[in-house]
Amino acid sequence: MTADVPADSETEQLRRQLAEAVDAARDAYRDTTRLIQLLDLLGRPAGSAELIGDMLNVLSDAFFADVVCMARVCGDRLIVSGSCGLPEDDPAYTEGWPVGEAVRRTLATAEPTALHRDVPAEDVPGSVAGLGIRSAAWIPLSAEPYADTLLILFRSLDQPFAVPDLRMLTSVAARLHMALEERERHAIIEQLAHYGHLLARHLEVEPLLDEAAGLLLRLTRADRAWVVTVEGGQGRLRAHRGLTPGIIADWPVPAKSLDDLPACEAGLPEVLKVAVSRENGATALLCAGREQARPFAQGTLEIMTIFANYLGVALTNADLYHALAERATRDPLTGLANRSALVSHLDTLLSAGDPTRVGVLFCDLDGFKAVNDLFGHEAGDELLLQVADRLRGSVRPDDLLARFGGDEFVIVLDRVKQLSEVAEIGARVCADLDDRLVVCGEQVQVSASIGGVLGVRGQATPSAMLRDADAAMYVAKARGAGQVEVFDEDASHRSRDRLDLRAELLLARSRGQLHLAYQPIFALDSRAIVAFEALLRWTHPHHGIVPPDVFIPLAEETGAIVEIGQWVLAQACRQLALWHRLPEGRGLGMSVNLSPVQLHQPQAAERTLDVIRAAGLHPADIWLEITEHSYLRHEVTEYAGALGAAGVHLVLDDFGTAYSNLSYLKRLPIEILKIDKSFVSGVTGPGGGQIDLSIVRAILAIADSLGLVAIAEGIETEDQRTALRSLGCRLGQGYLLSRPLPAAQAGLLLRPRPQLPARAHRVG
Amino acid sequence: MPVDIPAPRPAVVTPVTEPLRVGVGYSDAADAATAGRAAAAEALAGLHGTPPELIIVYASVSYDLIALLHAVRRATGKAPLVGATTSGQFHDGRLINPGLGVSVLALSAGPYRFGTASVTGVTENGDDAGQRLARAARAAAGPEPSAHAAVLLLTTGLAGHQQELLNGVHKVVGAPVPVVGGSAGDDRLLIRTCVFENDNVLTDGGATAVWIASPTPLSVVAEHGWHDVGLPLLVTKSDGLVIQEIAGRPAVEVFREHFHDEVTFERPGLLKPAPGYLSAYAFGLIQPDGSKLVRGAYIDEDGELKTFSPLPLYAPVQIVSCKAEDLLRVTGDVVRQSLAGRDASVLLAFSCVARLDVLAEQGAKEAALIQDAAGDVATFGFYTYGEFARTTRVAGYHNATLTAIAL
Repeated sequence: MTADVPADSETEQLRRQLAEAVDAARDAYRDTTRLIQLLDLLGRPAGSAELIGDMLNVLSDAFFADVVCMARVCGDRLIVSGSCGLPEDDPAYTEGWPVGEAVRRTLATAEPTALHRDVPAEDVPGSVAGLGIRSAAWIPLSAEPYADTLLILFRSLDQPFAVPDLRMLTSVAARLHMALEERERHAIIEQLAHYGHLLARHLEVEPLLDEAAGLLLRLTRADRAWVVTVEGGQGRLRAHRGLTPGIIADWPVPAKSLDDLPACEAGLPEVLKVAVSRENGATALLCAGREQARPFAQGTLEIMTIFANYLGVALTNADLYHALAERATRDPLTGLANRSALVSHLDTLLSAGDPTRVGVLFCDLDGFKAVNDLFGHEAGDELLLQVADRLRGSVRPDDLLARFGGDEFVIVLDRVKQLSEVAEIGARVCADLDDRLVVCGEQVQVSASIGGVLGVRGQATPSAMLRDADAAMYVAKARGAGQVEVFDEDASHRSRDRLDLRAELLLARSRGQLHLAYQPIFALDSRAIVAFEALLRWTHPHHGIVPPDVFIPLAEETGAIVEIGQWVLAQACRQLALWHRLPEGRGLGMSVNLSPVQLHQPQAAERTLDVIRAAGLHPADIWLEITEHSYLRHEVTEYAGALGAAGVHLVLDDFGTAYSNLSYLKRLPIEILKIDKSFVSGVTGPGGGQIDLSIVRAILAIADSLGLVAIAEGIETEDQRTALRSLGCRLGQGYLLSRPLPAAQAGLLLRPRPQLPARAHRVG
Repeated sequence: MPVDIPAPRPAVVTPVTEPLRVGVGYSDAADAATAGRAAAAEALAGLHGTPPELIIVYASVSYDLIALLHAVRRATGKAPLVGATTSGQFHDGRLINPGLGVSVLALSAGPYRFGTASVTGVTENGDDAGQRLARAARAAAGPEPSAHAAVLLLTTGLAGHQQELLNGVHKVVGAPVPVVGGSAGDDRLLIRTCVFENDNVLTDGGATAVWIASPTPLSVVAEHGWHDVGLPLLVTKSDGLVIQEIAGRPAVEVFREHFHDEVTFERPGLLKPAPGYLSAYAFGLIQPDGSKLVRGAYIDEDGELKTFSPLPLYAPVQIVSCKAEDLLRVTGDVVRQSLAGRDASVLLAFSCVARLDVLAEQGAKEAALIQDAAGDVATFGFYTYGEFARTTRVAGYHNATLTAIAL
C-alpha cells in the first residue's frame, strides 16, 4: 500500500494556496502592525510639532510613501506645514503650490481622494514631481478647525492606495487631529500659564499693556492685536501689534462708540474683542484680528477671556504697586517727596554727567514746636500743609521739594552754577514764607531758617550735602529766625570738623582725654584761698587742647554733658575731700560749673547731692555755678531750691552778660554772683573804663543789698585787683592770682606763703 | 556711461567636465604610518596627476588611527577625507579579511562636487545629529545649486540610532536625495568603531557624510538574497533588543523551530562572532510592499534572543535564512542595477559582516563577483555593522544587505 501522493497539479495548487495564505497573513500582520505603530505614536507624550514629525515618518514608512506632508489651504495655495520627504528648503513650505483638483475635491467632500498612475502634475509640488510619482492620496484632517488641512501621501511605487489604506489613513488623520487638538489645548493652557506669569512681571502699566498686545497676537494666532483702555469716556489705543499708522491715527474714540466705529475693527474682516473686567468694571478691551476672512479657531474667545482675566489681575497689581511706590516715596501728609525719594533723586542728579552743580536748601520752620504745643498736632499738620503749599509756589519747576521730617523741608536745585544762586533762591524762599498764616482760626507768624550748600557732581554725596546744609541751617537759626546761611567748601569743612569732634568727644572720657584743672578763688584782701573752681580740659591726641567754648556746646548738643558733668563733679569732690585732709585745706570750697542740660535731668538735685555726699563732703563745701539762661525753666527753680536747702552754695556765673533779670535773683537761692571778665578788664581801662566801673559798682551794690557775695573773674593786673578791692569786692580769681593748675600744683598753693606770686609783682 | 550688455548665453550649456578619475591603494603594513603612506600613494598614483577631491579610507580598527590618517593626509593634502573602521574591506575583486589592512580611494572631481562633514551626538539625539550632518555636508559642497545629489553616510556601528540619524538626514535633504553608506565595523570585536573626517577620528556616537552634488540623477541599490523559511509572525513581546515572545510564545523556541536540519551550528571560523550568533538565520521585517528588511538576530549566552537594532512594536516578521549561494546570487544584480545606464568610474559598495559570516570560506567570492559584474569600473567597499540604502521611504537602514552607488 502506498500513501496517497498528491498529483503535481494538486501540489501546485496547495503551494499556491499556501503562498496566498502567507501573503494574506503578511498583509494582515503588516496592517495590524502599522495601525499599532500609529496608535502607539498618537498615545505617546509629545508636543504637536514632534507628533506631526513622527507621524509623517511612520506614515512614510508604513505606507511606502516617498513624500508625506501635512498642508494647509491658504487662499488658493496649499502650504506645507510639515513633511517627511520634502527637503527642508523646499518652496512648498513657504510659497506652496496652487490648489489642484484633488485638493478641491477632498475639501469639498471631506472624503479622502486617491489617484493611481495619472496623478495630475498640478496636484504635485515641484520637487516631488521629479520622483516619478505613480500614486497619491489626499486625506482631510477633519472638519474643524483643520478643515483646511490635509494629509497628502505621494509614492513612486506603482501601487494604488487601496480602500483599506484610505480607511486607515482617514481614521489616523481623525485621531491625529484629536491628538493635535488635545496637545494644542495643553499647549494653550501652558502658554496661558506662562503668559500670565509674563504679565505678572510688569509693575508699570505701559510695558504691561505692550507685552499683553504681543502675547495676545501669539495666543490667538491673529495678524493684528491691540489693547484699548477706557478712561474718562474715551477709548484710547494703548498698545498694538501690526496696526497701520492710518488706523492708529483714528484713535482715541468716544468710549460709547467702541462697538461700532470702524477704527475699532481696524479694517479687518475677522475681529475678536474681550473686555478686561476689574473690580470697578471694564477698563480695557483686548482685540485680535485677522487680515483674511479666516475664522479664529474654536475656543479662541475663551482663551482670550482667560488671558483678559490675567491681564486684569496684572493691572490691579500694577496699580497696587504704584500706590505702594507712591507711599514709599511720598510724604503722606504733604504729598511731597519723602526722605528716601529725596536722597535717591539727589543721588541721581549727583551721578549725572553735567558741568553744572546741584544745590540743596535745608529749611527748618522757626517756632513750629510752639504752634504744636499751643494749638495741638492738628494745627501743626495744617501749618505744615500750608507751608508745603507756600514752598511749592517758591521752587522752580525742575526743583525737588521734599519733606525731610518734622518741620524740616529740603529743596534740591538742579543745574546751579554758583553758591550765590543757592543763596538767592534761599532768600526768596525765606521771604515767601515769612508771613502770618491762619491755622485753626489763629494767626501764626511763620518763618524758616534756611541753610544751603552747593555740590559738585561726581564728588558730593547726598548724605554729605544734607549734613552740611543742616549745619548751615543751624548757623542761620543761631542768628535768629528767618535767616539764610550758605556754606561754601570751607564752611562745610569746618562744620564737618565740628561733627568729627562731636563724635570723638563721646569717647574722650573713656579714652582718658579729659581732666580737671583747678583755679583758686582768693580773698582779695587776705590773699587766702577760699575755694577752687574746677575747670574741665580736653586734650585731643591730634588737635591738642580743645578750648572749652568749643567742646562744651558740643557736649551739650549730644547730651554727653550729663555724664561728663557728673564725672567732673565727682572728680572735683574727690579732690576737695583730699585737700580737706590738709591742715590748710579745711573749710575750702569747690566751685563746679553746671550745664543747663544737666539741670533738666530727672532727679538732678538728688544725684548731685549723692555725688557730694559719696565723696564724704558736706553740701555746703560745694559751690555750683549756673548761667543766667538756665533759669528759664521751672525745674531749674526746683533744682536750685532743693540744693540750696541742702546747703549747696549757688553761684550765678557771668552775671551781667545776659538778661540780668533781678527777679531770678529773688526767686532762686543764689548766694554768689560772678562778675564777668569783660567788666573786670574794663575797670581800669581808658575811656570805657568808667562805664565798666559803674557796672561793677552796680553789681556789687545789688549783691550787697541782697546779701550776696561777689567774685570778680579774670583779674589780670594788680590795678584791677586794687580797683576791685576799693570797690568792696571781696573775692576774685584770674591769671594775676593764679592760672588754672593741675591738682598737684594747685595743692601746693595751699601751703602758707608770705606773699602773692612773684609774677604779679612784675606785671604790676 | 554706456553699460556693456553681455551677449545672451546659449539656452543650454553643456559643461565639458573631466571624467571622474579613480585611484585605489591598499597596504597591510603593520605600522599605521607606513600603511597609510603606502595606501595613499598608490591611490593617488591612480589619478595620474589629477588633484584628488575626495579621499575615502577604510581601515582596520587595530591601527593607530590618528597616525594612519596623518600619514594619508600628508600624501593627499587638503582633499576632504572620510572613512570608517571596518570588519573587512574589498576592492578590485579582492577581499581584505577583518583585522588587516587599510584601503584608500582617491577620487578626482569629475562631474561631481563633494562636501564632507562630521558630527557627534548620534547616541543622544540621532535625528538632530542627522540634520546637522546633512546641512554641514551640503554647505561644504558650496553654494552652487546642483540638479541632483546623494549622501554617503558613515556612522559608528555600535552607537545604534542609525535610523534616527537617517531620519534627520532625510528631514533636511528630502526624498529626492538618496542615501547610501554603512556603519563602521571593528573586525567583529564589538568594542569600538570609528569614522573619520579629515584628521579627526570620531568614535561611537560620531558620524560623517559626503554630500555628492551631481549633474545627473544618482541611485542607490540594495539587495540581500535572504528568503523566508516560515509563515508571517508577530513579535508580541520585546524589550529593547531582546525579543521575548513571538506569536505569544517564547521567542527562542519559535526561532529554533525554523532551523533547518542542514544548519551547522559551528560558527564561521572568523575572528570573533557575537556569542551564539547564527548568521544563517535572521528576522525579515515585512515591508508594505512585501519586501523584507533583514534584521540580524542571535541567541546570547543567557539563552535570550536578541537583535542588533530594535524591532518596531508588534513587528510583522518572517524568519529568514540564506546560504552562501543565496547571497552571492544577488551580488551581481546589485552591481548591474547600480551601473545600469550610467557611465560610471567607481562603484561604492557596503556589505554586511553577517554576509561574510554566512559566506564563510567563500567570503572572497563576493568581492570577486562584485568586480566581475562591474567590469572595468573600479569597486571599493567594506564590511559593515549595518548598511544604509534610503531610496523611496524614510526607512533605509539594513542588515545583512549589499548596498551600492555608482559614480
